[in-house]
Amino acid sequence: MKQILSATAFAALLLTACSQQTASDSAQPSQAASATASKSLQIYSARHYDSDKALYAAFEEQTGVRIDVREAKSDQLLETMKAEGQNSPADLIIAADAGAVWRFQDAGLTQGYVTPALEEQVPASMREAEGNWYGLSNRVRLVAYDPERISEDQVDEWVKLADPALQGEICVRSSSNIYNLSLMAELIDRLGEAEAQAWAEGVVANMARSPQGGDTDQIRAVAAGECSVAIVNHYYWSRLAASSLDRDTKTAEATALVIPSFGDGQGAHVNITGVAITASAEDPALAAQFVEFLLTESGQALLTSETQEVPLARLGKLDLPTGNSIAYTVSPTPLEAFGENQADAQRIYDLAGWN
Amino acid sequence: MNLLTTYQGQARRLTFLTMAGFILLPVAVAIWFGLTLGGGDTWSHILNNRLAPYTATTLGMLFLVAAQVLLIAVPAAWLVSRYKFPGRAIFNWALVLPLAVPGYVMAYVWAELSGVSGPFQTFIRDMTGLRARDYFFPDVYNLPGLSFVLATTLFPYVYITARAAFANQSLCTLEAARSLGASHYRTFWRVALPSARPAIVAGLALALMEAAADYGAADFLGIPTLGVGIVRAWNSFGEPATAARLALVLIAIAFAFMILEKVSRGQRGSQQTSSRWRSPEPQSLSRTNALLASAFCGVVLLVSFILPVGRLLWLSLELRAVTPDISGPLISTLLLASFGTILGLISAIALTLSGRGRSRQAGRLVTAAGYAAPGAVLALGAVLFLSSSNLSISGPFSLAILVWVYASRFTAAGSEPLQAALERAPKSLDHATRSLGATGFRRLLRVDLPLISPGLWAGLLILFVETLKELPATLMLRPFGWDTLAVEAYKYAADERLAQAVFPSLLITLAGLAPVLLLSWQMSRSRQVQ
Repeated sequence: MKQILSATAFAALLLTACSQQTASDSAQPSQAASATASKSLQIYSARHYDSDKALYAAFEEQTGVRIDVREAKSDQLLETMKAEGQNSPADLIIAADAGAVWRFQDAGLTQGYVTPALEEQVPASMREAEGNWYGLSNRVRLVAYDPERISEDQVDEWVKLADPALQGEICVRSSSNIYNLSLMAELIDRLGEAEAQAWAEGVVANMARSPQGGDTDQIRAVAAGECSVAIVNHYYWSRLAASSLDRDTKTAEATALVIPSFGDGQGAHVNITGVAITASAEDPALAAQFVEFLLTESGQALLTSETQEVPLARLGKLDLPTGNSIAYTVSPTPLEAFGENQADAQRIYDLAGWN
Repeated sequence: MNLLTTYQGQARRLTFLTMAGFILLPVAVAIWFGLTLGGGDTWSHILNNRLAPYTATTLGMLFLVAAQVLLIAVPAAWLVSRYKFPGRAIFNWALVLPLAVPGYVMAYVWAELSGVSGPFQTFIRDMTGLRARDYFFPDVYNLPGLSFVLATTLFPYVYITARAAFANQSLCTLEAARSLGASHYRTFWRVALPSARPAIVAGLALALMEAAADYGAADFLGIPTLGVGIVRAWNSFGEPATAARLALVLIAIAFAFMILEKVSRGQRGSQQTSSRWRSPEPQSLSRTNALLASAFCGVVLLVSFILPVGRLLWLSLELRAVTPDISGPLISTLLLASFGTILGLISAIALTLSGRGRSRQAGRLVTAAGYAAPGAVLALGAVLFLSSSNLSISGPFSLAILVWVYASRFTAAGSEPLQAALERAPKSLDHATRSLGATGFRRLLRVDLPLISPGLWAGLLILFVETLKELPATLMLRPFGWDTLAVEAYKYAADERLAQAVFPSLLITLAGLAPVLLLSWQMSRSRQVQ
């Protein structure tokens, strides 16, 4: 009796699983159902935005290629892929932060794949040399400060954040976060390890509270007066500024942004959302076709409108929802360094007592 | 004993063993990997760098949760069951409601409520003109904060068991104590509390088992408990061996509480042998004391339910514009919860019916073991099994295994109401069935299923909501396109988009209210019958 019942249940389960898939099949336009109907791409994505669904749907409509997405934190996707090995169904990986994308490359899960279009559309500074991954958009780590208490020239260079004048003024999230790791990775590259270490110690000494919450929480803390300086990624501020809630826009209004330099007259710390074609991808050309689609005007618009990142075409100009924009130049440090220096970065933070 | 009944007895035993194996296998797999998985770092490395700190944090959290749960639940249960005060009739059932809010949702809401731009701190600043650094306001991103958040959802376990114990205490014992001149306080401390202790300990053990199994709240608040450590060791450090060993420790802690609960339940309060068995009438209190009692219960209800759920409602109305499209996750949730419920209910029915008589205690222990095993532990066992047998972690297989894990975890919850229904049936019915010669399938359809049917709906409802709320196992095992509401809320919250996490959280909470209200209603009804 029990066996019959559980077998029925299992059969029902599989049936429903299949019917869900066929449902998404039939949702496609019929004219595309010819040659490419059987093709599909499996994407592991660390992003979860409604606009991404529109993005995938647009590609499906254009090409008839079905897209399956698994969304999870990038760490989890990485370990899943490691466990899956050569059996991994993933064709593409999308992750925020070059340091995160690099981890996939480091684990041997990506493949170098180059097409003329990709080389032309992604600036060399925004992709891995062998084509293991490509930047899709820019994200800028910067400082949000309280203009009533701090002047811009107190925070317009990263090294100034370690100045004792800012004691008790800095709010920042925990050091295990990839954004902070990548920032430190670049500091190591630009300033050298010893100075980077001293910087971390100086910032820890200036913290208003022990690291907690996310980037948005740090901006809110500045607006509320708990500290005067927050180290955050720009789009968190943009989202507050573009919010439908009064208290969010007021939070943004109470803070000002500056993109700190490294004091050497060269570029700022700029990061990417990246995409990689996996080593196990069955049809890398098809995967590359999807990447090229992400670089089209409509692809870029869908990719960056909700996230408030900088599209590649607007590289060097950070447009804010308030109508202002801040110019920046891209750093000379290759993005690969964010990955290569990652372990050192964590070690330096740990030594400095940055939780 | 003729041949037929012997055969039936064997079929029943076989069913029982199969079901027990079905429920225990995921637990056994996790334990087996914990003991045998090599290839990672050495034991001493794991012990010093991971095991010791995670275990210390977890034990500290459990201690703080226990203290808060007792301080909230025992006085509340005592007041509600013994005294008349304004609002008592409402508090009586309403204090069970916080059970409907999953720990991770409570963490999201309290982080928002108590944050610098939350309503309280904003109010303080608006009123006083101070800045955030000029005053102290507690935040929840720390060990006490986590334990507070968990205690506010878990105290009803103790409230329920303590209330039942206080209400069933023999009238004459309490009257004797009072007539001998013992004060209210003395009666409570010297008579009522000692006799209710087994029930309180049983409830507390359940609450702590749940607290030990938490993943979502601790992860969101950044507190490195064992539950977080297991997922992190697997996800972030790529150390499956560490994860498996952490799981072993967590399962040991959870099983300790499970055994404590079973042992306490078996104990009888020393006073309960009195023949004058009547629930004591609630006593009147002086005006001041009555108001104090109302205030205490009111504050508890406010903090544990009205504020967080009210805030969720408020935010979801305020944030209508950014509410994400959740139709996909909603369908996944309904499907997964239905699969989990069906499989869980089948195994609950099979286990309840085949495990009557002598094997009943064994059956309860089996389901309890599945229930005690935290979701992250079971999922880890499944993931390790899938990857060691070269199966995809995101394929249809993992979907089937996820449903299996649901059934393994929640059969206990589903079989409680069935057991209760069976216990209410008269023994003579069983004998009559046999003497009338009803056997096999016919007996199952005509006698056994109708017998447990009163508990069927409750079991179904509880199973459905438990699966719907489940986070860690779903997070680790769900295949492509199977994100549930819980996963959706988790992803948004982790991505600093609490606004988008609000609506899925509210839906989960509202769904959770149904079985809690049913439970509350059934308990008050059974009290009236008494």
